[in-house]
Amino acid sequence: MTVEVSSLKELVEQASGDDRSPDTQEYFVNMGPQHPSTHGVLRLVLKLDGERVLRCIPVLGYIHRSIEKISEHMNYMNCVHLTDRMDYLSSIMNNWAVSKAVEEAAGIEVNSRIQYIRTIFAELERIQSHQLWWGVLGMDLGAFTPFLYGIRDREVLNDVMEETVGARLTMNYVLPGGLMADIHPNFVHRVKEFIKYFRPKLDEYDDLLTNNVIIQERLRNVGILSPQTAVQYGATGPVLRGSGVAFDLRKDHPYGVYDQADFEVPVGTIGDSWDRYWVRVEEMRQSLNIVEQLLDNIPPGDFLVKKLNSKIKIPEGRYYSQLETARGVLGVFIASDKKDEPYRLHYRSPNFNNLWCLEPMIKGDYIASLIGAMSSLDLVIPDIDR
Amino acid sequence: MGIVTDKLPGALEKVPGGNVLVTRFDEIINWARASSLWPLTFGTSCCAIEMLMATGGPRHDLARFGAEVARPSPRQADLLILAGTIVKRMAPRLRTLYEQMAEPRYVIATGACTISGGPFIYHSYTTVRGADEIIPVDVYVPGCPPRPEQLFHGLLTLQKMIKEGETIREPGVRRKPVISALPEGITLEDIQGEMKELLVKENVVDVQHAVDKLKWPSGLNEQSSGKSGANESGAGDGT
Ligand code: SF4
Repeated sequence: MTVEVSSLKELVEQASGDDRSPDTQEYFVNMGPQHPSTHGVLRLVLKLDGERVLRCIPVLGYIHRSIEKISEHMNYMNCVHLTDRMDYLSSIMNNWAVSKAVEEAAGIEVNSRIQYIRTIFAELERIQSHQLWWGVLGMDLGAFTPFLYGIRDREVLNDVMEETVGARLTMNYVLPGGLMADIHPNFVHRVKEFIKYFRPKLDEYDDLLTNNVIIQERLRNVGILSPQTAVQYGATGPVLRGSGVAFDLRKDHPYGVYDQADFEVPVGTIGDSWDRYWVRVEEMRQSLNIVEQLLDNIPPGDFLVKKLNSKIKIPEGRYYSQLETARGVLGVFIASDKKDEPYRLHYRSPNFNNLWCLEPMIKGDYIASLIGAMSSLDLVIPDIDR
Repeated sequence: MGIVTDKLPGALEKVPGGNVLVTRFDEIINWARASSLWPLTFGTSCCAIEMLMATGGPRHDLARFGAEVARPSPRQADLLILAGTIVKRMAPRLRTLYEQMAEPRYVIATGACTISGGPFIYHSYTTVRGADEIIPVDVYVPGCPPRPEQLFHGLLTLQKMIKEGETIREPGVRRKPVISALPEGITLEDIQGEMKELLVKENVVDVQHAVDKLKWPSGLNEQSSGKSGANESGAGDGT
């Protein structure tokens, strides 16, 4: 197998060679890295013909913090803390991914209380992440009100989680071998209250955005991603499911205690921005269902299997483990040389693959559609660059 | 209306047919400048969620401090809230953004990353160890990420600095940067109590105090205090 690597200069030269239009001039526009709707510091080199997007080349590296390299100098306990800063909206799921990989490789068994709590927190965080995405999608399309609604509900959930975790964003809650702390005595009660609070709010979301004519017009039949392309590009999460491929690790390779919960995996039909929108809103409902079912059955037990010191040693070899974050499949690859530090730690981040779906989605469409389509991908840039 | 952190400095006097405000030009410009800072939406990573989104939301509401008009263009902004890690590839862009902002411009560095490199300080081959290697910083707000309340504390600190800071004769004089961390052992009740006390105290304006504070040339001072009991008559209108 050969891999072709082309520099940005070559790509731009190649793209500027074939000017097909007889009466208009095609030109390049840089979108980003300082741009309000690229959600961070993503840079897109756009080739435009009038308002039509002919090419869209993402340029990365503006927030590359070399997390993988730093991890090679850290023991497995410390590696976990850097993963919060990758996809900061799924921080507990990121912690869990590394912990899961280390536990599988080192042969640490965790009890079912830990698994229950991890699963509940992961689902709560999925809701939280989608709430923020929902608000920001509205803002990207020019409506400020949804942002206020989304943040309002996010703060309510944030308070519930903060009581146990102690942090608002970078939570650092899951460790190899257990959890940082036991759940707060109020936790179960407050989550139940939150579920009661948030169910009607989801209908409000529907009134505000889902059934809104403008939103429908801007999202329907825009940025269509065929299932074949999605699979080819390695898209995962709501982006893949929006294209009609019902692939969800929570269902297909259950981890945690997802096999004990009864939930559905929402899938889209044609793979336009609308489908991806609908899948995420529907996922919030399913996550509420999962939490509701698991909440009353948390078994008693310890929150840490045993007092682990930082010297977890993993036998020589290569290990891979993955789970489903709010944005797709996060894979953790560990190459170990029998020391307490990884020889190589690699993350297969969902956003990286989802980003490259942007060009096939948007080719030939208007530049205004690009914003909506990009928003429906729900990108977190530090997770792409790491 | 949100919290009024400071009143317009000056002395108000009743004259037939209206009021006369006696103040200094520097004071009034600094007061206006400090109360309407327009931040640039510059968020690179995790801190941006807390610093730009949560503070803009309905619960924390940056608008209370007059700094909610976030602009994506540096030409229209005068406050740069650095939210997130700066890496070597982004550094020239940050410098450009800073230079594109109009004077007077202020910088708040939020989060461990922009202060020192934060969690990426060791063994990283790309992170810039502190944004002050690239641009001057006025206020540092520590945390990873700082809570929204901490940003507000930083913002109030900056406003105080601006009010005490520049004069027309010496524009752009930079003061030493400060760290805006709450001292240890301060609780919410303390702050609320202090706030209440302040609100009660500020309800009555002591004109003589304001005049004394402004340190007028001696002749003017005598004139204004000599004018028939300005203390009592001004007190009612000042609020
Ligand atoms: S200080 Fe912490 S939260 Fe802020 S950008 Fe750095 S790593 Fe992220």
